[in-house]
Amino acid sequence: MRKVLTIAGKELRSYFVSPMAYVVLVFFLGICGLIFALTIGTPQARADMRGMFHTMVFVALMLTPILTMGLLSQERSSGSMEMLMTNPVRDLEVVLGKYLAAVGMFALLCIISLEFPLIMSKYGDPDWGAIWSGYLGLFMAGMAFIALGLFASSLTSNQIAAAILGAFILLFFWLIGWLSYSVSQGLGDIAKHISIFENFQDFEKGIIDSTPIIYFLSLTAFALFMTVRTLENRRMI
Amino acid sequence: MIHTEGLTKFYGNYRAIADVSLHVDEGEIVAFLGPNAAGKTTTMRILTSFLPPSSGTATVAGHNVVDDSLESRRCIGYLPEAASLYADMRVLQFLRFCAGLRGMGKAETKERLEYVLATCGLEERASSIIGTLSLGYRQRVGLAQALLHDPPVLILDEPTVGLDPNQIREFRNLIKSLAGDYTVMLSTHILPEAQMTCQRVIIINHGEIIAEDTPEALTAQIREAETLYVAVQAEDEAIPRLLRDIPQVTAVRPTGDGKHIFHVDTEVGADVRAEIAEFVVKKGWGLLELRPVEMTLEDVFRELTTEEEEPE
Repeated sequence: MRKVLTIAGKELRSYFVSPMAYVVLVFFLGICGLIFALTIGTPQARADMRGMFHTMVFVALMLTPILTMGLLSQERSSGSMEMLMTNPVRDLEVVLGKYLAAVGMFALLCIISLEFPLIMSKYGDPDWGAIWSGYLGLFMAGMAFIALGLFASSLTSNQIAAAILGAFILLFFWLIGWLSYSVSQGLGDIAKHISIFENFQDFEKGIIDSTPIIYFLSLTAFALFMTVRTLENRRMI
Repeated sequence: MIHTEGLTKFYGNYRAIADVSLHVDEGEIVAFLGPNAAGKTTTMRILTSFLPPSSGTATVAGHNVVDDSLESRRCIGYLPEAASLYADMRVLQFLRFCAGLRGMGKAETKERLEYVLATCGLEERASSIIGTLSLGYRQRVGLAQALLHDPPVLILDEPTVGLDPNQIREFRNLIKSLAGDYTVMLSTHILPEAQMTCQRVIIINHGEIIAEDTPEALTAQIREAETLYVAVQAEDEAIPRLLRDIPQVTAVRPTGDGKHIFHVDTEVGADVRAEIAEFVVKKGWGLLELRPVEMTLEDVFRELTTEEEEPE
């Protein structure tokens, strides 16, 4: 576990010595803040965060591949992978360390974004129960996004390719729910069950159900498992 | 300490190494010598568990590098070729990171950090960002991380690349000072380096080990003739012919260094220096230089790795 934290600490530091952390923070808070300001300023504005969570989870979907793109691909392209992997560390420890760093960054985004409900509560009386459940959903979705993005990063030595691939995988899991309207009942149900969008909806409404929690956790675990497997396959260097 | 048997590695259809079996004893310093793309790096990557072998087995300090790789990696300090480090980290930060990965305790880390910074001449650069360092200094950082956890086995891939002549001399002294305490395997294609620092040389070419011995034994093994370097001062075109007539001399070749400077080959085991000196003096020429030519590893290497016969 100490090795995992060592790697996570190193990656978190890297985020902040490069422009990466600031770019992601500015984009996330900028876009979400803009939409928040636009919606809350209208006469029909309501004191709930449902629309905001929708925005935040989508912006997170677009930004997490940028957080994860370099985590493994850069090790490979710069050759530092060799130095890293010849240390007495397990592949799983490397993957978990890098994963934790990105999750840490994402947690920071979530915490700063608490400004939105706080501002709201100054002028209205939002339902904090629904807000916490929305945040739980946002965070769980973020965990899955990052795991899938990390997997994309393990597949290539090119950061940009990793980011695009990551975004593509996430969009696939986001949009597949739409299929349910245009295919047969059975197939549609499957599409709905594996869609990030469909699974996220309950959280926004303030419903904490075990199904979407299990969904996000298993998507995360599956993506991390695949990442470890890819890393083990050293022939692809 | 290092033992391999029948190591073979394929990259797709390309065979990088074939049937590499080698043995390095505890405390020994061994050079792994070969031209570029001979399979040195591949072998070292297998030993450090970075790549799995296609077949064959390797053990380091008694631990199998595939099945027991965490343990074997713990025993190795590895300097990869052209050490790629994290360019955005500071030297000390990076070394602390490495200490963390190797599970070193606080007190141990502090003590070893002081030692490696001093040994590698990095004290003044400890807070520099690695990306701003020159190649030579980066190489030192690479070496520092390899020594950091005081591993019994050091595997160094082309350690002197990028160092200036002074640094190379310091580095060789450092390696020599490690003899006995550490088992060192270093790869190089610079022959004097192997000759100067190592007790034993393993020569690899096209992925196969072609020779393995002490530098002296290797040179003796392929020596076909004793050669003398003779420089004479005289105005006589017949010098080569006259020298050739001295008993036991087999050939006289101009060296190309100057007009009357020759390599004189004699039969193996013969020493005709006295005869040549006497002959030259008797002729009334001036004898400027007369010394035996040592065969270098370079000659051995060329002999072993060049395939086409050189025309006489």
